[in-house]
Amino acid sequence: MPERVWEVFRQEAEGDPFIHGGSVNAPDEELAMHYAREFYGRRQESVRLWVVPREAIVELDDPDLLQPPFDRSFKRPGGYLIKHKLEAARERAGSPAGGSEPEGEA
Amino acid sequence: MTDLDAATREALAELLLTLADDEFVLGFWDSEWTGIAPMLEEDVATSSIAQDEIGHAKAWYELLAELTDDDADRIAYGREPEGYRHAALMNHPRTDWAFTVARRFLYETADAVRLEALSQSSHPEIAGLAAKMRREETYHLLHWSAWMRRLADSLETRSRLVTALERLGPDAEAIFTPLAGEAALVSAGILPDGLATLRAAWHERMAIELRGLGLPVPSVDAPPPTEGRTQRTDDFRWLWGEFTSVARADPGASW
Repeated sequence: MPERVWEVFRQEAEGDPFIHGGSVNAPDEELAMHYAREFYGRRQESVRLWVVPREAIVELDDPDLLQPPFDRSFKRPGGYLIKHKLEAARERAGSPAGGSEPEGEA
Repeated sequence: MTDLDAATREALAELLLTLADDEFVLGFWDSEWTGIAPMLEEDVATSSIAQDEIGHAKAWYELLAELTDDDADRIAYGREPEGYRHAALMNHPRTDWAFTVARRFLYETADAVRLEALSQSSHPEIAGLAAKMRREETYHLLHWSAWMRRLADSLETRSRLVTALERLGPDAEAIFTPLAGEAALVSAGILPDGLATLRAAWHERMAIELRGLGLPVPSVDAPPPTEGRTQRTDDFRWLWGEFTSVARADPGASW
């Protein structure tokens, strides 16, 4: 029985992002779905599954594209510390630090 | 439903025992595939479905225990082989994969018809359980139908499948062997349709599926075997020895 590999993504609750659960071997789409259900859904741990043939996945792993050699930390949101700016702004507005607004890095 | 007369209660107990034993014994036969199914994924699927059936048996045994003031474990494990009331279909050993698929197909199609009727039962617990079980059996039906199609597709597996269906067909009829107190259950609405009516509905459904696969449709002129739920085989006695071995090792132990 020629088998294919299927990647299974699961959603734990409505609205949650899909996360990769793992993979199953199956000869066709129908059994792939049944096996995905057995491995990633039979304990009521998922509300929805995506079953994708592995060959349908477009892979990008080129380090020139993903791990460029220069320092790119300024492209990360953590590159800008706004905690102190926020505190100063609150002082000017006369409201106490803390409150419901998120602290620290934005 | 405490207002039932003695005869109806007795008939109800008999019905519940047949429902429970069918699921229980089939669940044990199919769990014989754990570790040796055709591939790892199918091993997990078959074992999981077998567990589902034992779970359904547990629910029926508990309802029966409530009715007869007994204990579900005692009923499940505390009888001699001759006391079991599963249909003759479940007297056969696991055999090969095509045999298991054929048995599952015969059983699932029959059970679907039976549960559909029971979900309309006047007995609220039975109706509720049957409705819940139907939701799980939907997947079982899908799974075993998928395997029927796969096996019907190639020459060698097809001939094994046909042989198994011919061998098992007459014993599958025993699922609808009339029960002694059936008339009382039908008139109380506990069993909304008689077993003969359900049997005809099953034949119709099965014929559609088999024709769709280009497989021979068995002749169903003979009535179901009268001893269909009482005759036991050495194969079943062996299985009984296996599934009761732990319970018999320390009777009455609390786990």
